[in-house]
Amino acid sequence: MVMKFYLIMVAVMIFLSSCLKQSIPDAMLSSKSASGQGDATATLSYKVNGNLVSLTVADAKSQNPNNYSLGCTKESNYYSFDALTDAGEFTFMFITDTLTAGNYNIAGSYNMFITEYNGTNEYLQATTDSIGFTVTANKNGLISGTFSGRLTPLISQNYPNDIYGAPSSVLITEGSFKNVPVFY
Amino acid sequence: MRKTMIALSILFFSVVQTNAQLGVMKLVGKNTSNYTIGFGAFIKAGFPASEGSDVTLEIGADIFLLNDGYGSSDGTIMCPLKAGYRYMLDGSSKGFYVEPQVGFDLLGVTSLHDANGNQINLRYHGVVFAAGTGYLFEIGRAPFDLNLRYETVIDHGGSNNFISLGISRFISFSKRGSDY
Repeated sequence: MVMKFYLIMVAVMIFLSSCLKQSIPDAMLSSKSASGQGDATATLSYKVNGNLVSLTVADAKSQNPNNYSLGCTKESNYYSFDALTDAGEFTFMFITDTLTAGNYNIAGSYNMFITEYNGTNEYLQATTDSIGFTVTANKNGLISGTFSGRLTPLISQNYPNDIYGAPSSVLITEGSFKNVPVFY
Repeated sequence: MRKTMIALSILFFSVVQTNAQLGVMKLVGKNTSNYTIGFGAFIKAGFPASEGSDVTLEIGADIFLLNDGYGSSDGTIMCPLKAGYRYMLDGSSKGFYVEPQVGFDLLGVTSLHDANGNQINLRYHGVVFAAGTGYLFEIGRAPFDLNLRYETVIDHGGSNNFISLGISRFISFSKRGSDY
């Protein structure tokens, strides 16, 4: 009698489990996608002297960490924020070991490439140059925030005699980024 | 809770006589065709409950490799702890038996790569149900257990199902006329 009970119970459970259409990994991946953790859309937008540059990447977390359009990579003592837009590259370094909500500013003559706009590279070159990021959220491996800056254009590259344009003449305004994945 | 279960299992298997069992297995169901034949190793012990029946306890590890083009780093491993009731069909200590089992998957991990080449490690547990049958026999004086079972692990609204064929030398806690 007891044996029959156990056999029936196990047979029922196995029958019910066969009604589950997905394996556990498939079910977990589906759940992850449905909750938005796996398919967050990342966005980046800013203006270069009033001209809008924007980028949208669907399912941004699924980008290749070694070759992505919009993302942030954890390095040994900084985070590298990188984007590849139609106007060119954009990059910024968060100089920190732990990326949390807050302000991250770089100012001064660092000869540091920040962005490219229609064939012209814009640098942190003059002492009056600066760029500042504000991270407003870092949640589930996605960062969001705003930024702005003033940069100097590189007119002619002939190292060590590079020729730059008017100092701080390139204004980066209305910069914002949302759901940018951080790769570790 | 899990540590307690593991500790109790170790204590149990250290008290009773046990033996290792090896098995080959195959995941069945949707999207399992890329999994290779799996292998399992487990230990199993039994207490005689009545003439011709045992209460069994089993802990093991099952490994299935995934052929998805990323080498041997992808696949699934599960470590179920199960209790069962083994019932000899003719009431003796040899011959055919059936054995339903219920339990808990102490650890389940599936590693795979997504479409963009990123590795994903999915961890889960889940309840385990199994229904098996087997045949107890002797070669010389060595008792063996040749068994076939269907097992399912249920968690996160999905299930990992597989069929297993195993062989072992099984020794019971106390004698019931033989070493089985």
